[in-house]
Parts: sequence; structure tokens; C-alpha cells
Amino acid sequence: MFGRWVVSLAFFLHSSTTYRHIKNTTYNLLENSNYPYKRYFDFVMIALIFLSVYILIRQVKHEMSLNWLFFNNYIISLIFFIEYLLRLWIYSDSTKMVIDQYEHDLFLHRPFSLGKSIKTIFKHKLEFILSPAAMVDLLAIMPFFHEFRLLRVFILFRVLKLFRYAKSLRRLISILASKKFELLTLSVFAMIIITVSSVLIYVMEAHNPASKINTLFDAVYWSVVTIFTVGYGDFVPVTHEGRVVAMVIIVAGIAVISFATSIIVSAFTEKLDEIKEEKLIDDVSKLEAFYLICGYSSLTHEVIHRLKKMYKHIVILEKDPYKAKEAQSEGLIVLNADPSSLHTYQITNIQFEKQVIAVILLEDSDVANIYTALTIRELNKKVPLFSILHHHENAKKLSLAGIDEMVNPHHLVGLMSKRISNQPITFEVIHALRSGHGGTVIEEIILDDGMSQRFFDLLLHPLFHQRLSMLGIYQNSTQTFAFNPQPNYEIRAGDVAIVVANRALCSEFRDLLHRKKIKQ
Amino acid sequence: MIIRSAAVFGFNEYSQQIARYVRNVYQDFALFVMTQEEEKAAHQAGFLVELVDLSDDWSRIEQHFDVKSLIVFCALANDSENVFLTISLRSQFDKLNIVALAQDNESASKMKSAGANKVLPSLQIVSNVISDMLEKPIVTKVLHEVLYEDGSLNITEIEVPKHSSFVGRYMHDIHFKSEYDVILLAVVDHEMGTTFSFASKGLNHHIDPYDIFVVMGYQDKLDALKLAVKKHHAR
Repeated sequence: MFGRWVVSLAFFLHSSTTYRHIKNTTYNLLENSNYPYKRYFDFVMIALIFLSVYILIRQVKHEMSLNWLFFNNYIISLIFFIEYLLRLWIYSDSTKMVIDQYEHDLFLHRPFSLGKSIKTIFKHKLEFILSPAAMVDLLAIMPFFHEFRLLRVFILFRVLKLFRYAKSLRRLISILASKKFELLTLSVFAMIIITVSSVLIYVMEAHNPASKINTLFDAVYWSVVTIFTVGYGDFVPVTHEGRVVAMVIIVAGIAVISFATSIIVSAFTEKLDEIKEEKLIDDVSKLEAFYLICGYSSLTHEVIHRLKKMYKHIVILEKDPYKAKEAQSEGLIVLNADPSSLHTYQITNIQFEKQVIAVILLEDSDVANIYTALTIRELNKKVPLFSILHHHENAKKLSLAGIDEMVNPHHLVGLMSKRISNQPITFEVIHALRSGHGGTVIEEIILDDGMSQRFFDLLLHPLFHQRLSMLGIYQNSTQTFAFNPQPNYEIRAGDVAIVVANRALCSEFRDLLHRKKIKQ
Repeated sequence: MIIRSAAVFGFNEYSQQIARYVRNVYQDFALFVMTQEEEKAAHQAGFLVELVDLSDDWSRIEQHFDVKSLIVFCALANDSENVFLTISLRSQFDKLNIVALAQDNESASKMKSAGANKVLPSLQIVSNVISDMLEKPIVTKVLHEVLYEDGSLNITEIEVPKHSSFVGRYMHDIHFKSEYDVILLAVVDHEMGTTFSFASKGLNHHIDPYDIFVVMGYQDKLDALKLAVKKHHAR
């Protein structure tokens, strides 16, 4: 009966969207570093930890108000306790385990075994409880029992909780963890040396009245202080035999320190690229809007050079490590990853809808660009895709792969050659307008409903008359260009005026157009 | 000097496209290749070609064309060979109009030094178009249609003849927009050389013979303006 009730509850919770939503949000808040609100949660927890430690220090020589002590001992501990329970809750999906067990038993025509379900759930939860991070969490709640004076020191465990909230600290732990075996070997070596030397020094010195080393604890303390090359000098061997032991342990100490240093340095060196990559992915996830360029080549370099002038963020995906390194040396944001692989977008966590203005495919072949386009279209149907077209005959294939706009360099140069041979000055004029050299530019100005009167009045304003040429208005709704429109032309929302003028004048025109009054 | 003939050097994707667009524009056209492999490939692609080398024997060019009315496109695949071709042609023909294709800006400056009248740096051209498509999509679309497609809207150069009725007038006295329904983009002041200045600089330029207007408008309006410019002074 109780088992049936548990199964019903499990099915109810499993199918409840509210329950799922709450659990997902909790998971994101506690564990998902890409969740935007997690950082606020982390900040609050870090602040609580520092406050807690501050109260502990302040308490040593000053009287603290009861309110502060209550806050520290009960409120903070309660918050940490709730957090601990939430972590325990989200660690595994208990409802699913019950359902799995029920379905398994049903399939085998057996009665539902509640005991097995509880065992599986408990096994998973125990896994969490015994994990080092959860142990620290639990110890950090201990100050709740502040009546036991010793337990107050457990406040310091709250500092260890910082590892949960600060990514850099987590990274440090993961680096050291990668050298677990070496560090363990070193610890065993150090422990053997300490044990042997402690026993030896105790045997040599304890009987001598002139020596301060009288107990085994003194001997261990002396050994530790010596082997780690600290040497306070409060305990010193006085016998010849003891000094011989000291000489040996000093040499062994140097070996331990150098061994430890080399392990840690090599761990950092080995993980350096990984750390940089992780940092880069973090930086990319913080960018609000950027152009994503797939493939690094001399053309990419030129495109970036142009886009940077417009103060745009650019992220490059390049699978060739040498090319990626070359781009990195130029100070660009480059992720050494295959742009055609779905895995790349999973690990880099690029949000196409939120972050990417457009994707530019500049890989060496049409084949690669088509493959990448299909990958991106699988992830997002709307992001604008631009591509280089290496061979004209592949244009249709690129279009089928979902590429919106393509540029064929050979075709473009052919067209330009025709224009340049016919009308070289026209070519120069347009090239100068596009590049903006000399300060005169061709710009787009977005217009709005009911702007006609103001727009045409402004064109006759002494500041702009004869100094700003309005070529025409592009009507977005009909995709037609009205060249040199008359003042009675009706402007609609989203229409775009194309003007030629000095860059500063264009900007002034744009500003004035959006102000209500025009000073004559 | 009116250009009546064109020659393209090299056989690759760039030179093929140049040849396709240019050959119908001129009375006389030739495609020159450097190797027998290129010659074979060009024949297969349907081009009539002539085999030349980079030695100093340019007699075949002189036999084939009137060099004074010839435009040459140096479009060899290799930039260093293209520079050599440019400098070879320039050393032989002072007045020849040379357009050279360069991969990047570094080669472009070398080709300028080698004597090319105009250099087309392909990387820069493509990158400009890509960035314009991203940042100014409408400008790019409109300009592409005006410059490269056979629509009625066009941009053209109009030279002011010696006895034109425009000579002696000031730019601001001519109402290009309202009277002719065209937009003046730039002017080349004949006295100042071949460099142009944008009309939007607001300078009230005094029109002299042989000045050139760069104007945009519908073809019929441009033709009407051409006629008006050609019209002589009423004496």
C-alpha cells in the first residue's frame, strides 16, 4: 500500500512541470556556471563566508552584539544548511529511480520492491554526502553548535566553501588533482622521513638533560619544522648523533621541497593551455554580441581589420592549432576548435540567438564551408550566414546549406575590372566612399513613421544643404530603392536613407533627425 | 585616349572572370598565357589564347594592338611574377594602361611601384565587401545593383567639353537634383590633375573645360545631362 503511494507520488512529481522547473532552477543556481543568476547567488554566499570569518576574528578581542552572534550562529548556519539540503536534493533524481524500479519489477511480473528503491536512492545520496565538497559543506554548518567552543573553529571550514563559488579556486584544485599520484608519493616519502627522523631524534636526544626534545611529540614537531626548511630554532639537537640526524633530514627536506615545487609547476604547465582555453570560453560567454568567423586565413585577417574599425567583437573558430596560435598572437579571440563539429558549440556554449550577430564562413574550401553551415543551421535556423564562395559552380549548394549571402572573389574582381576599365574614376569614388578614406562616407540612416517633413526639412538646413547628398530611400517592406525622392515622399517605419557626407556630418544629421526641434 | 582594346595575362579563375566581363566591352581582345598547360586549359574552357613568355620580346603585343588605346590586365596567379610582368610592360610601353591584380596590400604597393596604373588587391576588395555586407547591407545591395547590374539606375562619368555651356559656371548654380534629377557625387578638376573631390565637401567649384562629373541617376536622365553638358555656349 505504502509502496503504491510512493510510486504514485513519484509519477506525479516526475510529470509535474512545476516540480521540474523548481528543480532545474535550483540546479542552475547551484551548479550551472552559465546560468546568469548563479553569479549573484555566489556573491551572496561569498559575502556570508567573509562576514562569518570577520565575526570570528572580531570576537577574539571584542564584544560582539547578540544580534550579530545570532546572525552568525543561526541565520548563516541555517542558510548553509538549506543549501546543503538543496544540493543533496538535486544530486540525483529519486523519482526516476523509484519509477525505474517500479517499471523493472512490473516487466518481470514482480511486486514493487520499495526497499530496493530506497537502497538505490540512499546509495546515490551517500555518494554526495561522502564527497569532499559536501563534507566541507557539512562542517561549515557545525558552528551552529557554538556552545561547543571547539566547534567554533569550524567556521574556518566556511572559507573552504569558497571553492564552490570561485571558479579560479576550483581550477586550482583540479590542477592539483591531476597530479594526485605524484603528490601522494611525495607525501608518503615525507611521512617516512618524518617518522624515521622523529624516532631517531627522540632516541638520541630524549635522555640528554641539555636537550629540549623530551617527548615524542617534540621530536615530531622538530622533524616537521626541519624537513620543510622552516627551522624555528626553539628545539635544537645538542648531541652529535642528533646533529647527524639533523643534517640528513635537512638534505631530505630540500629534496621534498624541490620535488613538491616541480610537481606543482609541471601540473600548471601541462594545464596552461587548458586553463587559457577555459578562460577564453568564459570570456566569450560574457560577450553580448559578436561576429563568429569560422576559419583563419589572410582573408580573415583583412575582414577582422575592417570590422575592428567599427568596434565590433569578433570570435574566431579555427581547428588548425598553428593557425589558431598565429591568430592568438595577433591579439584576437580564437578558440582552437573545429567549427563544423556540434561538439564545439556544446563546449564553447555559444548562444547563437543571444550573442551571434552573424556567422562568416571563411574556410579554405566550399566543402568545409557547406559542412560548417549545415552544423550551424542544425543549431540555429535564423542566424545570418555569410560565406566566401571559392568556386562559382558551388553557389547553389551553399545556398541549399542555408547560407544567406556569399561572395565570390573571382566574380567580384571580374565585375570590378569591367567597371575599372570603363570608368576608372567612378570606381575610385565608390572605393573611397566605402573605405571612408578622406572622411567622406556613405551611410545608412534608419527612418521612422511620420518623419518625412522633418527629414526633408533637415536636408535643406544650412548645415547640410550642399554638404550632405541623400541618394535615396530604401523601402524595406517592398525592397525597392527610391532614388532622389521628392519632399512629398511618404517615409515608413524601417525605411533606410542612404546619404553621402563627411562622417561627423552624417552623425550630426542622424542626431538632429531624432530630435524634435530643428534650430534654423 | 579612348580605350579600344584589352589584353588579359594569365589563366586562372581571376583572369577567366576578367576575360568574361571585359571581352565584349572592347573591339579587340586577347588572352595571353605563360605556359603550355595554361594554353591547354584555356582551350578546354573555350578561350582563344596566345602563348607568351616574360622575356623582353613584346613585338606580338605591338603587332596585335595599338598600345596607346590598350588596357592590360596583369592577372598571373603568382604575385611576384605579376610584379615582374607589370614592370616588364611598363619598361617597354610608357603610356600603356596597366591594371594589376594583387593578393594583398603588400603586393599591391609593389605593383604600384612597378608601374601599374591601377591595382586590384583581391583580399582587400573581398574583405571590404564582406564587412560592408555585414555593417551596411542596404548600401552594399544598392551600390552592387547600380555598379554591376544592368538596371536603369547607373553611375557615370561626364567630361565637360571645351565649349560646353557649363564652362565658367559655379557648381552651386547648377541644380543637378532638381533640374536634371541626378546626384553629383564627385568632380575631377582638370587643372588639379586626375584626383577627384566629393561634391559633399560643399566646395563651390568653378567649372573648367575637361573637368569630369561623377553622377548617379537613371540612364535617361544621365543621357539628358550628357546632352546638356555637350551643348555649346550661346555666343
